[in-house]
Amino acid sequence: MTENPAPGKVPHGPGEVVIDVRGLRMVYPPAKPGTPGTVAVDGIDFHVRRGEIFGFLGPNGAGKTTTISILTTLLRPTAGDAHVEGVDVVAHPHDVRRRLGLVFQKSTADEELTGRENLAIQAGLYGLAGEAVDRRISELLARMDLAAFADRFVKTYSGGMRRRLELAVGMVHEPKILFLDEPTLGLDPQGRAGFWKYIQSLRESSGITALMTTHYLEEADQLCDRIAVIDHGKIIALGTPKELKDSVGGDTLEISVAAGARELTPLLTALPGVGAVTRIGDTYRVKCSNGESLVPRAVLAAEQAGVLITGAIVRKPTLDEVFLELTGHAYRGEGELPSSEAADAPLVPPVGQGA
Amino acid sequence: MYREAFSLIRREYLRWIRAPAWVISGLLSPILYLLLFGQAFDLGKLVPPGVGPGVLSQALSGAPNYFSYFAVGMVAFASVTAAMFSGTGIIFDKQLGILQRILSTPVSRRSVFLASLTFRGILTLLPAFVVVGLALLLAHVPNLAGLTVGSGVNVLDAAQFLAAALVLSVAFTALFLSFGFAAQRIESYFGVITILQLPILLTSNAMYPVNIMPAWLQYVVAVNPISLAVNLMRMSLFGSAGYPYPAAVYLAGLLAWAALFVCLAMVLASKALRTDLVPAGDSALSRAIAE
Repeated sequence: MTENPAPGKVPHGPGEVVIDVRGLRMVYPPAKPGTPGTVAVDGIDFHVRRGEIFGFLGPNGAGKTTTISILTTLLRPTAGDAHVEGVDVVAHPHDVRRRLGLVFQKSTADEELTGRENLAIQAGLYGLAGEAVDRRISELLARMDLAAFADRFVKTYSGGMRRRLELAVGMVHEPKILFLDEPTLGLDPQGRAGFWKYIQSLRESSGITALMTTHYLEEADQLCDRIAVIDHGKIIALGTPKELKDSVGGDTLEISVAAGARELTPLLTALPGVGAVTRIGDTYRVKCSNGESLVPRAVLAAEQAGVLITGAIVRKPTLDEVFLELTGHAYRGEGELPSSEAADAPLVPPVGQGA
Repeated sequence: MYREAFSLIRREYLRWIRAPAWVISGLLSPILYLLLFGQAFDLGKLVPPGVGPGVLSQALSGAPNYFSYFAVGMVAFASVTAAMFSGTGIIFDKQLGILQRILSTPVSRRSVFLASLTFRGILTLLPAFVVVGLALLLAHVPNLAGLTVGSGVNVLDAAQFLAAALVLSVAFTALFLSFGFAAQRIESYFGVITILQLPILLTSNAMYPVNIMPAWLQYVVAVNPISLAVNLMRMSLFGSAGYPYPAAVYLAGLLAWAALFVCLAMVLASKALRTDLVPAGDSALSRAIAE
């Protein structure tokens, strides 16, 4: 369930495994001696292949940041193995640190320094300096659309600019693997979508592999090649966004009918490609494999039965539903901002029920 | 290793130079002491007119006047006051996640520690020079008391003065750095500083002669690192007559304090910079655990 060993399932071809995690477990020491510790990561296995953008999706406290911290050598696991490009993160942390770039949740740039200075100092921490590095810094700033602000203090940057600078900081030593911990936390939906483009452009230009955590469902959906859904320290599902969404049973067609119309359930159930049909007031929710092609047939069938259809909406499955299906509880994305997934969430029937 | 440390020092320098309020506030209190307290509180004026200047000079360990005696104490005080800010940077770095970012790079933990100690040590030493310079200058201002130095001061004496200031700076920089490494919040750090500042200063010989103190206090004052440094500095400027021990003893004592504080800082730094227990990031969970 947690491992996805078939190479054919990786969308971008069977690249080599660059992040390999087996039986990883992290128990934080208890606050008081004698009490049980907090299990943050409860035995997870996964791997990431070269060139993938791999998402770790889950609510706050699910164990995402802990996993990233272990993989980036900032935290020693209680048990299990983790290798980055074949190097054991526990045995050779120093070697691993050279190979990876890290983008933190919060802005970790120095406010009183300019963007360029921040990058130069970060490069120095990797032992890099000189003209070639200065050129690379200018390139990075340009790619992140920060060239015009390169010599301004970070304290004058907007939230989106800080996130981009953070991405540049993580890339300054040209890592092949990038870890992003909630990279778009606190950005508005527009800023988030903008940030995704930068990650995608990095993937295209530098061929980086990225492992990112997020609690934004739409982010995982749009950006990631594969997603591991994590809850209470366990991976509860792993696959491509499409696979995960298919696992909850395809599209949903919502049909509204005039009040007091005759029962349509048997009729709808008989149509090809239809799964479960539920009726809530004057609205039918029809699970089906292809919602768009079902609309005309459903309308026709209803018309022939003498029922007027007042509205029809096709809903594509979302990761919200995946999460609900897998965990039995609704996604609890506890964000600093009103979470956009709540606004987008199509779980509430939009049609008045005339109760 | 050098490039890493240089990068870290450069970062601290740029941050420091762009926060002028810190620069000025660190120098303000020793300057006020020289310009106001030192001018107003002239013990020499309490001596009856009939008493010769030799008596006062003897009470002041060879210093020609009270201001000269006091100014040397202020050199030490300026350094110790400046050192009290040494630990603040590391706390901000911890709170802002900057330390975590630094630790996620291949930079060695030793570089992080040495860069802090070096840069903060220099910052701590700077006010000492400012105070010496100002005190010497005041001697040439009419109607103001200033630092008067004996004519026999040679290069070796100057070196002794400098060594004392340097070792004192290293000692207190290390002490307050260790509080910075240990503290999670700036409030608790300044709590400790507030508790320590006056006792450290008032149990030293920076402001008043030891021999007028009660005996029990004299014992405390004798081993206070500020006193040891001030003894060395006064000996270098005013001669070593009247001191119970030679300069080497005071230097050894001061070095012992410095070694102790540097060791303490190293232990607490290696605890703060270890990455086998401290969760990265700032999730609610890791925060709850870190508190």
